[in-house]
Amino acid sequence: MSKTLALEVKNLSVEFDTYGGVVKAVRDVSFQLNKGETLAIVGESGCGKSVTVQSIMGLIPTPPGRITSGSAKLDGEEMLGLPTKLLNQYRGKRISMIFQDAMSAMNPTMTVGKQIAETLVVHQNLSRRQAMKEAVDLLARTKIPEPEQRAKQYPFEFSGGMLQRAMIAMSIACKPEVLIADEPTTALDVTIQAQILNLLQDLQKEYELSIVLITHDLGVVAKMAHQVAVMYAGQIVEMGEIDDIFYHSRHPYTAGLKAAMPSNKAHEQDLKVIEGSPPDLFSPPKGCGFCARCDYAMSICEQRPTPKFQISGDHYAHCWLLHPEAPKSERQKLDSFMKSERSDVT
Amino acid sequence: MLVYILKRLGTGVITIWFIATATFTGMHMVPGDPLTTERGMTDNIRENLERQYGLDKPVIEQYFLYMGNMLQGDFGLSFTEENRRVNDIIRESFPVSATLGVLSLFFATMGGILWGALTAIYRNRLPDIIIMFLVVLGISVPSFVLAGLSQFLILNLNQTMGRSILPVAGWGGFEYMLIPSLVLGLSTMAYLTRLMRSSMLEIANSDFIRTAKSKGLSTQRIFISHQLRNAILPVITVLGPSIAIITTGSFVVEIVFAIPGLGRYFVQAVAQLDYTVIMGTTVFFGSFLVLMVILVDIIYGFIDPRIRVQAAK
Repeated sequence: MSKTLALEVKNLSVEFDTYGGVVKAVRDVSFQLNKGETLAIVGESGCGKSVTVQSIMGLIPTPPGRITSGSAKLDGEEMLGLPTKLLNQYRGKRISMIFQDAMSAMNPTMTVGKQIAETLVVHQNLSRRQAMKEAVDLLARTKIPEPEQRAKQYPFEFSGGMLQRAMIAMSIACKPEVLIADEPTTALDVTIQAQILNLLQDLQKEYELSIVLITHDLGVVAKMAHQVAVMYAGQIVEMGEIDDIFYHSRHPYTAGLKAAMPSNKAHEQDLKVIEGSPPDLFSPPKGCGFCARCDYAMSICEQRPTPKFQISGDHYAHCWLLHPEAPKSERQKLDSFMKSERSDVT
Repeated sequence: MLVYILKRLGTGVITIWFIATATFTGMHMVPGDPLTTERGMTDNIRENLERQYGLDKPVIEQYFLYMGNMLQGDFGLSFTEENRRVNDIIRESFPVSATLGVLSLFFATMGGILWGALTAIYRNRLPDIIIMFLVVLGISVPSFVLAGLSQFLILNLNQTMGRSILPVAGWGGFEYMLIPSLVLGLSTMAYLTRLMRSSMLEIANSDFIRTAKSKGLSTQRIFISHQLRNAILPVITVLGPSIAIITTGSFVVEIVFAIPGLGRYFVQAVAQLDYTVIMGTTVFFGSFLVLMVILVDIIYGFIDPRIRVQAAK
């Protein structure tokens, strides 16, 4: 089965000028999103997940931000470096985005219906009245009760979950090919979270949406993703199909992330943590970004940037342990750690 | 909403009562009275006058008498302007002051919003630097200096052109109003410019502007329908106090430009301890201000729906 690419990002690097110096927020990130599938980008706070997708959308404030290299192709068409006018023919129409906190991401002084209709007026040349009708329709499609009344209300009259639905309605208004969801459920409680994720899955089927889902919640990843990219310190450290990442992961950071997931077993009182904190991105380490926190680090990890090792098919990881000449003892240690985790999960 | 407005009017009435009482007390604590003049006055004449104006009664009784009359809308007779009722003075001179005030408030808000938005767009570039320099000048130079300076400039202009282009002082058509209202509104305009600039920049970095960008809206559209409306809110909040600044500023400007407004009577009345005119103009100004502040709050509700609902509760 051949898959076509909806979004292809290659060698993306983003920097920010700050008073403290240049922050290299995203370093040489590449990923591909297949049509109709969901790619989850996971990683802890500050690892560059949001900056990556905001750069693709042209939402990085420049200055202080700067895209130093890379390309992002939507269905083969380059989006990076386009002037705003041209970029606006993609944004909202063919690629759209939903944000974490819907309450602050919607204009407080404009009715929800109008904010949805606006996209339609701009991209589909609908009249105001037609667009409003369409907006009500979209609200209904995202399962908002009484959509006619709701469309006339302001964001502060919505609950968090309802507003997130409205934002999803806004993002799919022009039937985009790609939807970027930047932690869409982080600000919501667990039951609402599940509803929103179900809604996204339904819409994905209905519109053949390709979704880039940013999250730090592996539970969300397990439910939604086809492909997973694990990011750490501005780089993708491991990437693969969901089963590769959950059951055959080869990077110590991915293993640590999975181990840190809280379990509901009674005898496990404490949360497992990855000791230490991410490296300083003002001067990222020469070698592997994770080596300072890694239990299996070798001397080469500090000195040489980690190359990409293919594990199987689409499964890649950046880790010196995968080098054929890496010491067997370290690899076995990691393997046995992951095995013990796996038996916990299943 | 109606309940809210009635509530606000109720507190307004209390405020005005407080203003009236405070003014009455303060006024009577100043040594001397309206009948104290340089001209000698026999005790006999003085007694007669005191009886005519009710000054022979105890102060407390005068207070209640005055308040009673005021409630019926009667501010009494002026002491210095012979046989003129304070109501008539207000009726004749208030329209002049109001025209001046409204015009300068218009200049101040329009100018403030325009310059503020402009400086935000050209942030840290030449137009921003120039305008912000002028803003600092506008805030720091007091209106009486500006008033004199502008008269001097008009005079020079008229002399070099060889004919009268703008009147230096007095009151009449629009050409008389232009310069005084600009002078009167300038410091408010400068203040509002600064406020508008910072609020525009704050909004520009907000999440919903980022959302608007992600929707592919043009820069102009984002500016007009998302940024401006939200940025104006703080400007409207200070409109109430701005009206107060402009009305009090008008006392000085009216005198410098010889404009027959209420401010001039007010200043004269204080100098001559004209009890009834002081009370009348103060209470009138006070009520006007209170009303304006309430009005501003109602307008605010129309622009920001969040306030509207809170108020209705």
